[in-house]
Amino acid sequence: MSSPAPAADGTVLSVQHLSVVAKEKKILSDVSLEFPPRSLTAVVGPSGCGKTTFVRTLNRMSELTPGIRVEGSVLYLGQDIYGRGVNPVLVRRRIGMVFQRPTVFPMSIFENAAFGLRIVHEAEDAVDSAVTEALQRSGLWDEVKDDLDRSALSLSGGQQQRLCIARALAVRPKVLLLDEPTSALDPAATQRVEATMERLSEEIVMVLVTHNVGQAARVSDRVAFLHSGHLVEVGPTDDILERPKDPLTQQFITGRFG
Amino acid sequence: MVRFFSYLPALVPAAIVVAIVIELLKASNLTAFPGFFGSNWDYTASPPQWGIGVFVVGSFLTALPAIILAILIGLGIGIASTTYLPKLATRFLDPFVDLLAGIPSVVYGIWGFVVVGPYLGLTLNPWVAQHLGFLPGFSGARILQTGQGLPLAVILLTLMALPITTLLIRDALHSVPKDLWESGLALGATRWEVMRRVAIPYSHRGILSAGFLGFGRAFGETVAVAMVIGSVASFPTSVFDTTDTMSAIIFQNSDAALVTPGLLEALAEIALLLLAISLIVNILGRRLISSLLTEQISGL
Repeated sequence: MSSPAPAADGTVLSVQHLSVVAKEKKILSDVSLEFPPRSLTAVVGPSGCGKTTFVRTLNRMSELTPGIRVEGSVLYLGQDIYGRGVNPVLVRRRIGMVFQRPTVFPMSIFENAAFGLRIVHEAEDAVDSAVTEALQRSGLWDEVKDDLDRSALSLSGGQQQRLCIARALAVRPKVLLLDEPTSALDPAATQRVEATMERLSEEIVMVLVTHNVGQAARVSDRVAFLHSGHLVEVGPTDDILERPKDPLTQQFITGRFG
Repeated sequence: MVRFFSYLPALVPAAIVVAIVIELLKASNLTAFPGFFGSNWDYTASPPQWGIGVFVVGSFLTALPAIILAILIGLGIGIASTTYLPKLATRFLDPFVDLLAGIPSVVYGIWGFVVVGPYLGLTLNPWVAQHLGFLPGFSGARILQTGQGLPLAVILLTLMALPITTLLIRDALHSVPKDLWESGLALGATRWEVMRRVAIPYSHRGILSAGFLGFGRAFGETVAVAMVIGSVASFPTSVFDTTDTMSAIIFQNSDAALVTPGLLEALAEIALLLLAISLIVNILGRRLISSLLTEQISGL
């Protein structure tokens, strides 16, 4: 994928009339949403509302699920990632992703963080500095800097998840997608990952899927509320959580369903 | 009382192993043959020569290349079936691997002797000898027109080790968590890169155990090898040469052992050695598998 100039208004990622159909069932219906630079948007909604599907369409991970059809467009720096001839592998090198459970690879801490750089055959000294930078940005550096050669599997769950964030950051993506990244972590580890997310939201575009309204309140600056595949409303976090316009949103954030 | 008797069936397998070992030890009479691990085997000479070195070497020379080939082919099949082939094709093709396991080894033997052997002896071996003649072990080789010799034995053993090897490798690759796959792909790696850098390292112990168990299968295989190895008690001098293996020499001489003084004892000792090596290899393979299972259950 070439790198066209950013859209005139500085929007890094823009979703336009996105619908997703799986086996004749509509999972997402006509979702349109903009992601401005240096922002963290929390995508919230009850289970099954399509929020995980939504975030997986943003780097074309969705097409790994057989039988999924995506309509509409996702513009990355003005270019449709679903456009003709766009290679999904290259899309995923620009738009990183972190999963629900930590998914470190069976190799050293260093090599985990270096994984994305190795596959593009980055030079050794560039790898070194990128790994250091990524581990610092993910807030893991101080804990691991003395034993980067240790197996990543020896880290705690929270450390592993921050390593996964570092691994995604090492290729310097402009967008980072996080699919319920703290759902498998204890409160202390969750707090550290949240601190990392908050810090990163001042640098890049973050899209966080969470079922936890409290987490959205703590780390996001915008909230998008999805319900049954529809985008019900989106706006600054304080507005959505304190003065929701839609009764569905109101019900969700007050914990009446979820 | 009932409980006591209920233990008995459980003791059967252990009892069999113990009985076999004891009977073999008795049959061997614990005879100390001079030059047992030497290279000179000729029980018709006087005094008879009992060196089994050729057979030990022959067993490894046939089983090792076979298991290496079987692992490579098994990896190829496993990678194709877990990653690249459409589901429908996998569902159709996978059972054939299991089917291979059901072919009696004497069928492999006769097929090797009648079909593959002549092709090797008349066409492939001479061609390879001519084109790779500059390599040591390939030049000036005696090539039997029947094709009997190391290459034919290795081919048959590869096919016989293939089912268990492929099955275990396929299972190992299938057990790589989906999350791990997706994380690799989400970093912009191709499927092959994820396979090579993540999935294969993740399943390396499963692959290794496939190697051990497949090796055990190839190492102990008897009939098919006896039919195609050429049955000559001398070290091979070229890659095409004939030789003999531990299992084959026992098989070929069990009749003679009844009338030849000392032969029964020697064969029993070869059998004990064969058993020991096979057991060690099998135990190593199984321990790897069980350590793998506990790891998967504990969620790594």
